[in-house]
Amino acid sequence: MENAVIIQFNHVTKQYQNDPAVLKDVSFEIERGKFYTLLGPSGCGKTTILRLIAGFTEATTGDIFIDGKKVNTIPANRRQVNTVFQDYALFPHLNVFENVAFGLRIKKMKQAQIEAKVKEALSFVNLKGYENREISGMSGGQRQRVAIARAIVNEPEVILLDEPLSALDLKLRTQMQYELRELQKRLGITFIFVTHDQEEALAMSDEIFVLNEGKIQQSGTPIDIYDEPINRFVADFIGESNIVPGIMIEDFLVEFVGKRFDCVDQGMNTNEPVEVVIRPEDLEITTREQGKLQVTVHSLLFRGVHYELSCTDEDGNEWLVHSTKKAAIGDEIGLYFDPESIHVMRLGESEEDFDRRLEAYTEEDHHAK
Amino acid sequence: MDKRTTPIAKIFLIAVFLILYVPIFFLIYYSFNSGGTMSHFKGFTLDWYRQLFGDTRMFIIVLNTLVIALLSSLSATVIGVFGALAIYSYKRRAKNTLLSFNNVLIVSPDVIIGASFLILFTMAGIQLGFMSVLLSHIAFSIPIVVLLVLPKLNEMRPSLIDAARDLGASNWHVLSKVVLPFISPGILAGFFMALTYSLDDFAVTFFVTGNGFTTLSVEIYSLARRGISLHINALSAVLFLFTIVLVIVYYFISRRSSMKTMGVRK
Amino acid sequence: MQSKLSRRIYLIPYAIWIALFVVTPIILVVYYSFYDLDGNFSLENYRQFFTAVYLKMTLSSFWYAFLITAISLLVAYPTAYFLVRTKHSQLWLLLIIVPSWVNLLLKAYAFIGIFGKYGAANHFLEAIGIGTKQILFTDFSFIFVSVYIFIPFMILPIFNALSELNPSLLDAANDLGASRWTTFRRVIFPLTIDGVKTGCQIVFIPALSLFMLTRLIAGNRVITLGTAIEQHFLVTQDWGMGSTIAVFLIIIMFLIMALTGNRKRGV
Repeated sequence: MENAVIIQFNHVTKQYQNDPAVLKDVSFEIERGKFYTLLGPSGCGKTTILRLIAGFTEATTGDIFIDGKKVNTIPANRRQVNTVFQDYALFPHLNVFENVAFGLRIKKMKQAQIEAKVKEALSFVNLKGYENREISGMSGGQRQRVAIARAIVNEPEVILLDEPLSALDLKLRTQMQYELRELQKRLGITFIFVTHDQEEALAMSDEIFVLNEGKIQQSGTPIDIYDEPINRFVADFIGESNIVPGIMIEDFLVEFVGKRFDCVDQGMNTNEPVEVVIRPEDLEITTREQGKLQVTVHSLLFRGVHYELSCTDEDGNEWLVHSTKKAAIGDEIGLYFDPESIHVMRLGESEEDFDRRLEAYTEEDHHAK
Repeated sequence: MDKRTTPIAKIFLIAVFLILYVPIFFLIYYSFNSGGTMSHFKGFTLDWYRQLFGDTRMFIIVLNTLVIALLSSLSATVIGVFGALAIYSYKRRAKNTLLSFNNVLIVSPDVIIGASFLILFTMAGIQLGFMSVLLSHIAFSIPIVVLLVLPKLNEMRPSLIDAARDLGASNWHVLSKVVLPFISPGILAGFFMALTYSLDDFAVTFFVTGNGFTTLSVEIYSLARRGISLHINALSAVLFLFTIVLVIVYYFISRRSSMKTMGVRK
Repeated sequence: MQSKLSRRIYLIPYAIWIALFVVTPIILVVYYSFYDLDGNFSLENYRQFFTAVYLKMTLSSFWYAFLITAISLLVAYPTAYFLVRTKHSQLWLLLIIVPSWVNLLLKAYAFIGIFGKYGAANHFLEAIGIGTKQILFTDFSFIFVSVYIFIPFMILPIFNALSELNPSLLDAANDLGASRWTTFRRVIFPLTIDGVKTGCQIVFIPALSLFMLTRLIAGNRVITLGTAIEQHFLVTQDWGMGSTIAVFLIIIMFLIMALTGNRKRGV
């Protein structure tokens, strides 16, 4: 049986000369056939990871394995991975057919076979009949597809995509998100997708790695990461969040804004200082009396599907509320939320500790049942 | 920017064009003069052309000039492309140093190049003649080729090379299948520029040539010092035609090769 | 790494060229400048350079070069400025450049005919009643022909600078209330100064060292540094003195390059 792990990073650090390291002791595994996203702000190291996998740069320390083989010093032209570049990097002196055929020609494949494969790859990306077009005469979306065809025609085990949608307009981007996801499912190979767009990451991925400052902050399914962000950075970067300081009084009881609330978090020390996250869409507008929190509305934006209210509580914390209900500026309103909506984050908790704690109490739940 | 041309601007431009072109057409006009001077047009004749084409000495000189121009621009293009690739591959400081060296011959006046090469060839014991002229022309054409190829290299996004390597290209493949085709308009421009520099050169050749070897420019100089001879007018008409043909050839070749690369600059 | 190896290979022929044809010639010129006519090492050439004869020649050479550059600029800037605004500006530019590809000697030769005693220029002067004048072999003819030859080289960099100018900058200046003249003085000219500098550099250095024109057009009335070098190398065979003048020309050249050195501004 094939090993499920296709790519493995073992304590990889990357540093350019005397600059601070762009990747700091990063370890992870990537499994076959899944859609992975490396998500983070610019300069977080996500593109560096991609370039390390592709073989455009070498790791300063640590080992990289592809398909169980150590590839640290294997150059890019001898690795079984292909890249779709941010600027597509299509060869301007070659037409569509020759661009896609580039890798096959280097492998000295027979002309008939090349023609068949290029045709197939182009039809995969819905570009049938575009073989003889010049690159300069194609739109951004079409170039994007050529770039993808050029990568998949080589039948790599992994395709690396470096912010490939960033140059497209919103509508096309959404459409390409669907197409990419579908393509990955049809081909059944691993996609590693780099983006700084959290919506894109949430929509497309099986697994997301959130990166910041050269470290993986959190990895998991989109739902895990959205619902259980490990720290302030992840909570802030993925979706919109209200984050306030609090104290974990005991299991299932947290205090913030001077009040105590029931919650579902546990496994922390008593009276431990924590941060509390509540997503804006989990806050409901009610009357002052019925609300768990009392706030004053000070601005209101219409966002299409909902209103976005910005409110302040008596401690001066700001609360963002997404609601279909409207309130007037200056209104004093109450905010209601379920215990499940409260998410408590420990300060400086590592991903391993976080996972261990979560596992510990999901096991307890099992025992309880 | 507003695209309207005011009448003053038009008159000014027309004046500049007139001044630039009148002397050239003046020369060509009198090449048909049977009078033998450049002042009174007596009657139409093709005698000067007949004389020119019957002149075997002139024929050899033209041949010399063309051979030198072709050989020197070809060699300079090869070395210049290598030089541009080398400069491109270096980082800041080394790059700037190389570029400064490159520019020395470009800004040097011809007299300096000629005089210093004369010393060089004499010291090295190279006979002044074909060889010394050829070497000089190669030498002063190299930096021009570099300067025309380098912007093309810089225009090439690094991701293009990454992409080629990603698709399995070896160093040789990257060079032959991606880099050289991409910079080919620059190489072509460099070659033609070197060609015109060589054809046009007078001062350097004047210094480094010896007895028995002459190029057109040097020949015209010695003829012109002796005074007016409509023989030269006929020659200038032929050369002007040749220049125009060269420009047209270059235009078509470069258009064909740049059609594919145009429009992807953004 | 492989790419390091390949870039060494690229560098070899180019490095040989730099060593043989850039560095060695300059060293040889400097070396020769320390030898007198009899082949003895001496500072005599330098002493002589600082005598009145040579200093006067240097000064006049500078003066002519300055005049040629200034007049070229005065003609070239408006030409480039108007050219950029024409419809098929690239085509017109090509037409400006074509004369520069016509052999230099032929252009000089044309002016021998035009400015000659019975030439077209004198015909014209006769016709408008001024009468025949000595035009050839004067300062005027020398400067006129030099400007004629250098003009395309001055237009080209200025044209490029002007066409790279972001048009919205002009709109911005307009929007902020600048008149056309103010826009030119405060926005267009400062942003195209690099082109002007390049043009001046391209014209001034060769203008210092013209020698063919001084012989053909100025009839040896004008002696530039270039003429002096040619004279010493090819006529009097005093390579030492010729090299000394060349050394000064090289120094001047580096000074001008440093002076007009371009620093790119981001726009």
